[in-house]
Amino acid sequence: MTPLIAAAGGGPGGYRRILGLRLLALLPVTLAAIINSGYQYLSRLAENPVLAGDGFRELLARGLGANYADAGFYDWCAAGIAHLLPVLVVALLAGWFWEWLIARYRGRPQAVDFVHTALLFTLLLPGATPFYHLLFGMSFAILVGSAIFGGEGRTFLSPALLGIAILQVGFPGTGGEHPLWQGIAGYSGSDAIALFHRGGDTALAGAGIDPASAFVGGIAGSMGTTSVLAVVAGAVLLLATRVISWRLLLAQIIGLVLAAGLFNYLGDGSGAAAMPAWWHLLLGSFAFGAVFLACDPVASCCTNAGRWIQGLLAGALVVLIRVASASHPDAVVQAVLLASILAPLIDYAVIARNVRHRARRHV
Amino acid sequence: MRGLQDLESRKVTRFALLGRNYHGVNFEVLCKEGDRVRAGAVLMRDARRPEIRFCTPRAGTVAAIERGARRRLIALQIEIDDNVGAENFEAPNGSEPAALRRFLLETGAWCSLRTRPFGKIPHPDSEPAAVFVTALDAEPSAPEPRPIIDACYDEFRAGINLLSNLDEAPLFVCHAPGHRLEFDHPERVQCVPFVGGHSAGLPGVHIHALCPIGLDGAEVWHLGYQDVIAIGHLLLHGSPWTQRVVSLGGSAVRNPRSLRVAPGAPVDELLAGELLDVPHRVLAGSSIYGRPVDASARFLDAGARQVTALETGPADAGDPGPRSAPLIPCETLERLAPPGILAVPLLRALQIGDAERALQLGALELGEEDLAPLSHACVSNSDYGRLLRRVLDQLEGAR
Repeated sequence: MTPLIAAAGGGPGGYRRILGLRLLALLPVTLAAIINSGYQYLSRLAENPVLAGDGFRELLARGLGANYADAGFYDWCAAGIAHLLPVLVVALLAGWFWEWLIARYRGRPQAVDFVHTALLFTLLLPGATPFYHLLFGMSFAILVGSAIFGGEGRTFLSPALLGIAILQVGFPGTGGEHPLWQGIAGYSGSDAIALFHRGGDTALAGAGIDPASAFVGGIAGSMGTTSVLAVVAGAVLLLATRVISWRLLLAQIIGLVLAAGLFNYLGDGSGAAAMPAWWHLLLGSFAFGAVFLACDPVASCCTNAGRWIQGLLAGALVVLIRVASASHPDAVVQAVLLASILAPLIDYAVIARNVRHRARRHV
Repeated sequence: MRGLQDLESRKVTRFALLGRNYHGVNFEVLCKEGDRVRAGAVLMRDARRPEIRFCTPRAGTVAAIERGARRRLIALQIEIDDNVGAENFEAPNGSEPAALRRFLLETGAWCSLRTRPFGKIPHPDSEPAAVFVTALDAEPSAPEPRPIIDACYDEFRAGINLLSNLDEAPLFVCHAPGHRLEFDHPERVQCVPFVGGHSAGLPGVHIHALCPIGLDGAEVWHLGYQDVIAIGHLLLHGSPWTQRVVSLGGSAVRNPRSLRVAPGAPVDELLAGELLDVPHRVLAGSSIYGRPVDASARFLDAGARQVTALETGPADAGDPGPRSAPLIPCETLERLAPPGILAVPLLRALQIGDAERALQLGALELGEEDLAPLSHACVSNSDYGRLLRRVLDQLEGAR
């Protein structure tokens, strides 16, 4: 009997199959993103009725039939679609345009992996990101992240990750940097990790964040990164089909837990240094970044030893940046980017060791 | 040969010696079309190393000598006629290595040896660091070696004896666990059981475990268990073993089983009346390391042990997607890699033809069949066996 979801393998169409699996794994995250964005938006408006929403998204949400007064599940979905869909459509259009232009210019068939890049990119952003941010970030992702290395499957960094990183550098304090930017004029929330920075567990409890809500995803944050539950569902699919490496994923978790334990032990009991490992795992975008960004098979180490090293490094860097820099409360994008840039160097060392070992032996 | 009488024997009308089974041989054909040849008669020799002779395992008439581009030999076909008779080779007295070598060269049995690195027929004067006999088979639906060896145990033992006296080098018989093998010179022959999946049957894996090849120019030899039986047959009976055991397998075969057929038999004659009435594709070899059979390549390879006919589903007929795709370094590749080999760096070196890098990463330890699972699992649609052969040819040329 053919298993329902077989391990991703070779043969004709194997690359498309891997791409399809990676998109399928993002489906639960996308659904969670829609529900939670709408929920956050409507509850913020309900708390502060004097604030006004972004006109364009407001119109779209009301056009879909969202009822603002007594919001239920359907209203959340409608408001969430009103936030996610415009971002996704603009990112897709930007990605498609560049891939189309490059395919034309190079005389190649049209690449399709920009769909995956655009979806990842969208999920890492808050719902009210301005369109010119999107155009800039997606263009940078496709051109510098992918096209100059030869296109799909030949990159050395995850294009979406690079796009987000350039947004955070280029527009600090707005969309990409501030994950709580809901498109509600006058509203400013606080990132959960920043809250912990300031007030520890009590501050989190005061904001209504407990481990269960952080796991399921009912808290504010970038659209796709809040629900650890949805990320786990996607991760199970990717691990079962062997698209991503369990070694790399496990090493990241181990690296994070070890580094968190070290800071708990050494720290003075305040700020992010006192944050226990399970809060590190649940808050911010660690789960999402670890599964969908760091484990990108093209952009990570290609040797098993290298995967362990890269994973430990990425996990530890997340905690280190969170503790050391209050201005980067989430730190996942930066940590994963650094570890990903180092991946070829790590591979180089692993390969050199293998080569030395072989050169030394005699029959 | 007593036990093999139980196996069904399939009569075929012709067989062929294929040029592509012998890398780097410049064939000098010593017969012409229409010649009647006795079993064991010399058909060809290597123009550069004339001691290496290719003899026919069956008697008959030379039917066709097919040549391809630059007069490269493609196939020498022989119409089988057992009435012509057989040569009678005299077994060497004693165990003097030079006489044993001469016997192997004269009977053509030398051609079943393969070197690692490079996978060629060893030079008549070369000294191996070790000799490996592959007495297990882990390819899907291959014939089980154990009953075949047990049925031909006298021949197998005689062959092993000869090989162990050939040289000072250790002789490793790699077998499936639980298969008890005893030989006349236990001090020179080491029996090593191998367990595991598909890779447990690959000579590359045995060599890596027992006598890993370094970069200092040493070589090891390997051959299959049926080749050992053929050597033993020559020793004990004086004439070539006229048959090999080949299995028919795969989902499109009506009755999967093992058959006795002439070496180099045509695949279409083997499969006549054996296939289910479904769309299928035929592979000479296993489903992992099989070569698609078409009109231009329809004979069994030297040393072939199986034919696979696979049912093709509608998925195979659909859009095949882009012909060449990037290599995605999934962990699967690492899992299927031969031991001690870093799969993705090696595959990348092979793809860009970087012979020096491939050498450093262990290309010398490998043969085409070692990379077959990787060609299957990689989404790039590259045939890494062919890429490896290209790199090996470069490396050998540079020696």
